[in-house]
Amino acid sequence: MTRRIWALPTGKVAFAILALVAVLAVFGPLLAPHDPLAGSTTTLAGPSGGHWLGTDYLGRDVLSRLLDGSRTSIVGSLEVALVALFAGAVPGIASVYLGRVFEWSVLRLTDTLISLPFLVFAVAVTALLGNGITQAMFVVGVLVSPLFFRVSRAATLAVARSQYVEAALISGASFGQIVRRHVWAKVLPAIGVALAQTIGIGFVVVSSLTFLGVGVQPPAPTWGGLLASDLGYLDYQPWAPAVPALLIMGTVSGCNLLADALRDVQTVREVKSVTDPRTVLDQAEPPRGGLA
Amino acid sequence: MTLDSSPGLGRRSFLGGLLAVPALGAVLAACGDGGSSAAAGAATLKWASSFFPTHWDPVVGGSGAQFRHLSLVYASVTRVNEKGEAVPDLAESWDYNDKGDQVTFHLREGLTFSDGTPVNADAVKKAVERAKTQEDSALFGDLTSIDKVTADGDLDVVVDLTQVDYQIPLLFGERVLQVASPQAAADPKALDQKPVGHGPFVITQLIPGTKAVLEKNPDYWDAANIHIDKVELVSAPDASTVVSGLQTGVYNFADVAAAQAQAAEKAGLDVFVQPGYNASNLSLNVNKKPFDDPKVVEAVRYGIDRQEFVDKLTFGYGTVATQPFPKEYIAYDPQSADLWPHDVAKAKAALAESKYSGDDLTIDLVIPAEDPAAEVVQSQLAAIGITVNIKIDKNWATPFFAKDLVASLYGTTGRDSPLQTLTAHFGPNGPLNLSTPYEPDGFEKAVAKVRQTPLEDGDYEANLQAATRAGLVSEALVFTYSQPSVYAKDPSISGLPANPGHINWTGVKIS
Repeated sequence: MTRRIWALPTGKVAFAILALVAVLAVFGPLLAPHDPLAGSTTTLAGPSGGHWLGTDYLGRDVLSRLLDGSRTSIVGSLEVALVALFAGAVPGIASVYLGRVFEWSVLRLTDTLISLPFLVFAVAVTALLGNGITQAMFVVGVLVSPLFFRVSRAATLAVARSQYVEAALISGASFGQIVRRHVWAKVLPAIGVALAQTIGIGFVVVSSLTFLGVGVQPPAPTWGGLLASDLGYLDYQPWAPAVPALLIMGTVSGCNLLADALRDVQTVREVKSVTDPRTVLDQAEPPRGGLA
Repeated sequence: MTLDSSPGLGRRSFLGGLLAVPALGAVLAACGDGGSSAAAGAATLKWASSFFPTHWDPVVGGSGAQFRHLSLVYASVTRVNEKGEAVPDLAESWDYNDKGDQVTFHLREGLTFSDGTPVNADAVKKAVERAKTQEDSALFGDLTSIDKVTADGDLDVVVDLTQVDYQIPLLFGERVLQVASPQAAADPKALDQKPVGHGPFVITQLIPGTKAVLEKNPDYWDAANIHIDKVELVSAPDASTVVSGLQTGVYNFADVAAAQAQAAEKAGLDVFVQPGYNASNLSLNVNKKPFDDPKVVEAVRYGIDRQEFVDKLTFGYGTVATQPFPKEYIAYDPQSADLWPHDVAKAKAALAESKYSGDDLTIDLVIPAEDPAAEVVQSQLAAIGITVNIKIDKNWATPFFAKDLVASLYGTTGRDSPLQTLTAHFGPNGPLNLSTPYEPDGFEKAVAKVRQTPLEDGDYEANLQAATRAGLVSEALVFTYSQPSVYAKDPSISGLPANPGHINWTGVKIS
């Protein structure tokens, strides 16, 4: 799969961007040339040898703050994606197998979650539970979970109606066995696309909230927070907001490109399966090593 | 997506990322924008304010920055002139009895509120009583000297005091006694939505929290000196967009952040600092650890570098503050000008002598919103060995005024009565005294002496400064800097009267 994605131009660009972002998330704080919290008397200075991206309104090194803030922004978006994955995919698959009452209940719950504006809800939750990025992102993850619910449920429904799954059921295979052996492999590519998209969505949400000052306690730097504070000093550093803006834009683009690449790879495989007579024959047969 | 297009960059994904940030920035920056202004008349004031009133009932609004906007609608018993002295407003004169525990205000004749109700002694009496008794009043703490108010005929308001207090004419100004129509105030909730007063303007449209439209009140007692026909007051959007709004004519008057002043000047706007009593402080709670040890307080006092606040936060428009008054004000005490100079060595020495010496001293600095001043405090106290955790609490007001916090930041816009300023900060129940019921020794006596001194008395200045000196002994407050009230206006608006702390539209013309 990785090789197929890499073969696509979109995949190469996505991998390059996301690899850079991953390096920033892991090593960013270590790469910072200065203490990101240490102020100086040189405020709002332009780029120089000592401060490649200048200094902020309290004389802190902007590059160091960007590097230090990368982890918070990235981890926050991953939290959104993982919570959404768990809260959406598990009930999405289970809704096909656990009976009508469960199905009806989770469908109504999903409809409800879709109707809630997650940005506003996250702000409300931080007001209620305290100003922390973890709780805010958890709530956003839950509210984004209908995306995974729909994707996983649709993929599961398609597999559940296939003859080999019905054969497995008749043969006495358990729900867990069917999910592990047959459903998961079919659902995974679709979930992969959704996951990449959701990381991008999560990144926009994290950036939005930190732009508004929600979720982090000062002076902890974040990309959204730096963007917001830079806008207050445009007359002194008109170029400054471009740096965090480009980082946010680039990361979101990377996630979207990866989602595109994943979907393209999946589409190619599906087309090949349909046009390859051997594949058609394979699909008509019970799976090898199956439950029968 | 078709197979043909799959090898190329996905347009939607690329554009999605490309548009994400600018769109995000634009949408967020525009939050709170009330939209484009309505049609502008020849003399229309289009005022974008960062302090758009949350309440239009003056009793609920209190003495903070929002009184300036409410003064568009409400007149008060007195007002202040450019020297900060009490001058007539609804009352054309006043006089004290010989003892000084009763003051009679003589109202102007023939005035009416905008709902037709007469402005008389009974209306003023009801306004005072409402401020003292209304459940959600933010003013009752300011009126402790008032025993009772009686209407003597139609125009004389007799105020009996619980003690000799010559500050009452200053107290009954715009910050504490803006007078609402008693008929409208019979339902305070309705008044909050539809204010009715005898101010220079009458409100014609109010969108709570967003926009107010006002028209000139032809029945205002000083209407001849009001040359503005209409006011469109809007809640200012993001600070970075205010100057653009002024440039494009969306507004013609706005308060601007000090960081935006340079941009406003470059844009050809008139930028000015309105004189006032602004003073920011670091509030400490001496009833809680670690500030229950005076040595820790002493360390903080020496650890604060006021000049850094001025340099980094005010862009040259502010000044250092060692007390709650500006240098040129009568209550400013020169003897207390530099009690606690910045001295890291002394701060560390004091900390070493404290009972918490050797402990890992960590405090929570709780503030209502992001404030660079908190980060300055954090770095300065870190330099002397105190770790500060900045915590933003949107419900900050509740624990602050309940005196539950260990440390916080507060910025006052001052009061017209210097004694009110002092008691608010240093009094045992002062709203800005985080260490209630703590009161510095000798403060009560010094305050009483000021109350008993007529404002015209030769000893007034000395007594007032002595009270300031007594208050500054307080371990509960460390004054830091004076945040400037910077305004930008279109050159078509003439200069405003320099009434300290006020925005007065009398005589202002829009060409």
